[in-house]
Amino acid sequence: MLGKLIKYDLRASAKIFILLHAAFLLVCAAARLLVMDRLDFHAPAETLIAPITVMLVLGTFLISALSLCTSLLITFRFYRNLFSREGYLSWTLPVSGTTHLWAKIISGYLLAALDMIIIYAGILLLVTGRNVTAAYQPVAPEMAEAIGMPLSSFGLCVFIFCVIGGISSVLLIYFSICVGQLFPAHRVLCAIAAYFITSFVIQIAVLVIMAALGMLDYGTGTDTLADEMFSLLVPNTIFALLLCIAQYAAVHYIMNKKINLI
Amino acid sequence: MRPILECQRLTKKYGNFYALSDLTFSLDRGQIVGLLGPNGSGKTTLIKLAAGLLVPTDGHIMINGLAPCTDTKKIVSYLPDRNFLNEHMRVRELLSFYKDFYENFSTERACKMLDSLEIDRHMQLQSLSKGTKEKVQLALVMSRVADLYILDEPIGGVDPAARDYILRTILTNYDENASILISTHLISDIENVLDRVIFLKSGQLALNASVDEIRTQYGKSVDVLFREVFKC
Amino acid sequence: MPWNLDDSRPIYLQLMERIQHDIVSGVYQPGDKLPSVRDLALDAAVNPNTMQKALSELERSGLVYSHRTSGRFITDDSTLLKKIKTDLAQEYISSFLEQMSHLGISGSETLEMIKQTLGGGDNETNS
Repeated sequence: MLGKLIKYDLRASAKIFILLHAAFLLVCAAARLLVMDRLDFHAPAETLIAPITVMLVLGTFLISALSLCTSLLITFRFYRNLFSREGYLSWTLPVSGTTHLWAKIISGYLLAALDMIIIYAGILLLVTGRNVTAAYQPVAPEMAEAIGMPLSSFGLCVFIFCVIGGISSVLLIYFSICVGQLFPAHRVLCAIAAYFITSFVIQIAVLVIMAALGMLDYGTGTDTLADEMFSLLVPNTIFALLLCIAQYAAVHYIMNKKINLI
Repeated sequence: MRPILECQRLTKKYGNFYALSDLTFSLDRGQIVGLLGPNGSGKTTLIKLAAGLLVPTDGHIMINGLAPCTDTKKIVSYLPDRNFLNEHMRVRELLSFYKDFYENFSTERACKMLDSLEIDRHMQLQSLSKGTKEKVQLALVMSRVADLYILDEPIGGVDPAARDYILRTILTNYDENASILISTHLISDIENVLDRVIFLKSGQLALNASVDEIRTQYGKSVDVLFREVFKC
Repeated sequence: MPWNLDDSRPIYLQLMERIQHDIVSGVYQPGDKLPSVRDLALDAAVNPNTMQKALSELERSGLVYSHRTSGRFITDDSTLLKKIKTDLAQEYISSFLEQMSHLGISGSETLEMIKQTLGGGDNETNS
């Protein structure tokens, strides 16, 4: 049953997901061919700043928009399939709440992870032109020393942490929708409120914990960027995973005991 | 044999409003039962409790001796009172969806019904008319070989000719061990098809009797009796 | 075509009457096999359990009998069939006479009118 649920979940979101991500890769490829490959890094720095800044801003915007769209896709599938009128069918299938939840976690996380992989691929596509790598070559040792490892390995590490972290963002969405479901009169509003309150509380909690553990102390200055990042990312990821377990428990309870489709 | 549906002091509250209060009755197998009552009397609430879409505030509801769970959902075929299918799916995709999840779904039976209703299986649900959507839904629900069919307003939105076809469909696909619970307010249309009726009034049982008992005792049809009991 | 059933009397009684009528009027011949409960119920557009009850009642009256394996048959007891036919006819006559008396037409007048109607069109055009 789990496999069938996942199949239908993925099928429902596939069209829009593929369309959006194909468009993203296409834009990246176009930017590489039309802009990046034509940049001359031997030119004076002033002439380079403008196009690079524009690319950076546009790229950031595009990537945020794509991530947002993927999150919305995951959100709508969960909400519509389980808590809108379609829930009348989903909840009368001979499938337990736990199976439903796992199907949604796996299908949602698959989309989230795929989204990040494609974004990473898009960035790689942008910056792997020969002119860029050639321009980077002379400063590479310097950068590697500042970071503590080669830039490519560092990028890969950040990517892996993002992919692990994706699970917590998917669960946060499900948790918020389930909490909203407990207030039948204002389900959507309460879900949105739950989302922002929970994210806010989590951030405060992370800060408080890190401050308590003395991790916000940058005074030493001898650490490389990588050390700094890892000392932040590792506890953050552990905290996120712990939070996932708590959210999973809450969603599991709601989906098994508190389903009230009105 | 256990009753197919059993309610014991079943109560459901929405906030401070009692949608059902202290409802106790049971349904034997092999019967077609009409669940009748004015709007807001708790019909849909009772049906949703039986389908496992709501959790009782108090008391119990049991299907074949079990509280609603995965096992009861296997033997209950439920038609909600609203469009509950993904509008982007095609009719044939819905057929394979039902086949995938319900072991007791008969694709052959569904195809036969869809054909006699002249519904094109390649159409997307959203491009069908309101009445046709309802027919597709009912065809899917009646194509399961279930122990209990729960139909919430199955004939509300379709024309009289289709209504006759649907009632015939219900009679054709019904076998002696199955039970059907139908909620409707088009009583006169289905009266002859029913074994017994349950009247709900403000979330409480007002009457639970067989159609012929009512006719013998009151000398009037269920439809007429209903209008008298619930006169505004 | 659903059978015509009225609203105020038990459905099984009306089904019995209808089948009884079909038997004495020759729709079903003596000794014929009756259609199955399901088919009859579908034809009448009524609940199969109600049809079952009507047939059981007919069995008790002796008009139909059931063979354990092969279904239900109509009796070929011609005296019984004749008796039921006479009973039915009696019933129609008394209800007809009752209606006539409601109209204020006496028994002898009714008889006269029946004779005239049966006598053909001539008498009517002359009068």
